[in-house]
Amino acid sequence: MRTLVFIPAWNEEASVAEVIADVRKELPGADVLVVDDGSGDATAERAREAGALVASLPFNQGLGAALQTGYLYALRNGYDACAHLDADGQHPPEEVVRLLDEVTAGRADLVIGSRYHSGAVAASGDYRPTFSRRIGISVFRFFLTLATRQRFTDTTSGMRAANRRVMALFSQHYSPDFAEIESLQLAVRQGLRVEELPVRMLERAGGSSFLTPVRSAFFIFKGLVVLLVGQFRPRQAEAER
Amino acid sequence: MSSLVLAAAAEPQVHLTSQTRIVAAVIAIFFMFLILDLIRRDRLQERYSVIWFVAGLGMLAGAAFPGLLELLADAMGVRNTNVALFSVVLLLLLGLALNFSVIMSRQAAQITRLAQERAIEQAREDSAEQSNRNGSTGEQPLQPEEKRL
Repeated sequence: MRTLVFIPAWNEEASVAEVIADVRKELPGADVLVVDDGSGDATAERAREAGALVASLPFNQGLGAALQTGYLYALRNGYDACAHLDADGQHPPEEVVRLLDEVTAGRADLVIGSRYHSGAVAASGDYRPTFSRRIGISVFRFFLTLATRQRFTDTTSGMRAANRRVMALFSQHYSPDFAEIESLQLAVRQGLRVEELPVRMLERAGGSSFLTPVRSAFFIFKGLVVLLVGQFRPRQAEAER
Repeated sequence: MSSLVLAAAAEPQVHLTSQTRIVAAVIAIFFMFLILDLIRRDRLQERYSVIWFVAGLGMLAGAAFPGLLELLADAMGVRNTNVALFSVVLLLLLGLALNFSVIMSRQAAQITRLAQERAIEQAREDSAEQSNRNGSTGEQPLQPEEKRL
């Protein structure tokens, strides 16, 4: 069983080495790949020093393209399972281990680490969203649940584990703009088993959220359009059968 | 008075004077020469030039035979040929702009994939280097599940 853990990173030189070290400690058998999304700082160097493989995109392409790079690498190099987590230290690697266990046990094709799932344990220093973020979260949660007929609590989680079926799908189709939400919709529509697992996440180490009220409103509107359009996409699996 | 208005409404209105026709024809010819020159200097690819040639020819035809415009207006059920002309041109431009958005999206996807391929190639070299140091096997064959973009 070969496992790849990949970490999309854009200008994360401060935290990336520590995240890699944590992952290597928790998952000694897994290969670690940092997808450097056109960083202007020393992210790639720090990652290499920490012993990770580095795939550097020549210019910033956005989170979706960076994640797709990871899925493509995993698919091409014959990994049986892969997982990804954020480079800013929000995602504890021991939770990634649990997600991977679900996939390798064959209980699901794609497992999402959820911050808001009822089973998630609250502890001091844990993740707590701001007000405008909470509105966006519940809107997306509602519409994604409506679109997929499956209950999702954390639609924008960047901590996931997947098997080869998902790698094949996501390396082919992955929206660059609304990566997290649209990919869930797509996976469910293609008949993959998608599952949420409650996980513990930490407050982001540095930097604040980029969302102002106007931006949030635009973000939500754009997301709804993307979801609506996604409902009319052809179901590939059926078309090929 | 009312009969005058009715008579005016029944007449198709042609606003093209011979002066505007000459100006339009000159612009159309100049435009087509511009396209030719752009192709000659490799600034425009032939496959994107066809539509512009058609536009130039249409412009020239409209200038040479104003009767075509009236036919067009009749077909659209518009009394004023100017309105017919403007709406047709507007629709054509809208279609062209959409066409360019489609081309742009395709090229954006191609650029992204190109960047990803390069990044993966680089990571593979990293991986081969690492396994050389550790003395295990490095390269994996291409996996069959993958399809071409």
